[in-house]
Amino acid sequence: MDKQKNEQITFRIQRYNPEKDSQPHFQEFVVTSSRGMTVLDGLIYIKENLDSTLAFRTSCRMAICGSCGMLINSYPHLACHTQIEEFHSNRLTIKPLPNLKIVKDLVVDLTPFFETHKAIKPYILHHDGKEMEKPTAEFAQSPQSLEAFLQFTYCIKCGICISACPTSASDKLFTGPQALAQCYRYCADTRDEGEMERFPVVDTDHGVWHCHLAGACSDACPKGLDPALAIQLLKRRMVSQAIGLGRKEPPARIVPPPAQTKSKVPFPDFTVKGSK
Amino acid sequence: MRNTYLWFIQLVTGVLIAVLAGIHTVWMHLDAILGFFGIDVRDSTAWHSMIERSREGIWAGLYIALLAVVLYHGLNGLRNIILELTPSARTERIVTRAIIAFGIVIFAWAAYVPILLLST
Repeated sequence: MDKQKNEQITFRIQRYNPEKDSQPHFQEFVVTSSRGMTVLDGLIYIKENLDSTLAFRTSCRMAICGSCGMLINSYPHLACHTQIEEFHSNRLTIKPLPNLKIVKDLVVDLTPFFETHKAIKPYILHHDGKEMEKPTAEFAQSPQSLEAFLQFTYCIKCGICISACPTSASDKLFTGPQALAQCYRYCADTRDEGEMERFPVVDTDHGVWHCHLAGACSDACPKGLDPALAIQLLKRRMVSQAIGLGRKEPPARIVPPPAQTKSKVPFPDFTVKGSK
Repeated sequence: MRNTYLWFIQLVTGVLIAVLAGIHTVWMHLDAILGFFGIDVRDSTAWHSMIERSREGIWAGLYIALLAVVLYHGLNGLRNIILELTPSARTERIVTRAIIAFGIVIFAWAAYVPILLLST
């Protein structure tokens, strides 16, 4: 698409107002798009100029908050992170994320998603609660130990993996790739000691063992995470623990923080005259 | 960790099926290849051959083991598929108990013949 050349793009958006509509229906809007315009830009234009009743979630517009996940041309995307021109079409069909209940238009109910996430205790669990609350020391964690789980810390909880997952589509009680990947993230963290608290949460009839390694979650993740890998590593971890095999990595040592040292370069205390 | 153990057994039985069913298939259908290595299977698919084999402890053990792993692997797999349809907790219990009962009945019925032949 030429920078100077604008194109007329038809946005075919699924609308649903539970207070008025008996079922979802489609409404079309024509938006003039230019190079660099994202789907979110188009939706904001529609809301500001064509139909202010259109409901969708948005916040950061830079693919870090995870608010604007939606189905664009039958595939889940972050609207802010998706250029209109990448579809090479002048017609976009936009629907809310599947596998989640619709609140209104493109807004879905993420409560079950966050409840499942909360259930796997997504925080460091350590026996020394006092040290966790008021830290006086540091965890010595090697770069190799960090590398084992680092990519899974980049999850922005957008819900796109759940929407792409075929098991989530058929099994409404399935834990889901996001929670399972985060379960692995914390279990693999050498600072954490909560493995045995998390395993019973995912070792259920609808937990980790219902993942069939379709890989759709990894394919759809807008941050480039590999939840499918995390789930397989979690399964390996659980089996190793159950049958008592496998090497257990040592926990991160707690070490005192580095001592305050004098600066080698004689910087002045204040650079602005008169300020204190 | 009940489901973890069930899944681990699913993996192990999968491997065992490959081995035991492999032996069974080779013995029953690849007599030409076995003959090349000097192994005479003596018309392995005939009724009398099957009865003679079942009188030997090692073959009876193989058949009973193959029956057990196939039943577990297949019925546990079926149970998992049904559970993905998210029935109610009560239906899940009924399905699990029905599958276990079915497996026990089939195992007892099918294992009866080699055990009877071993004892005669």
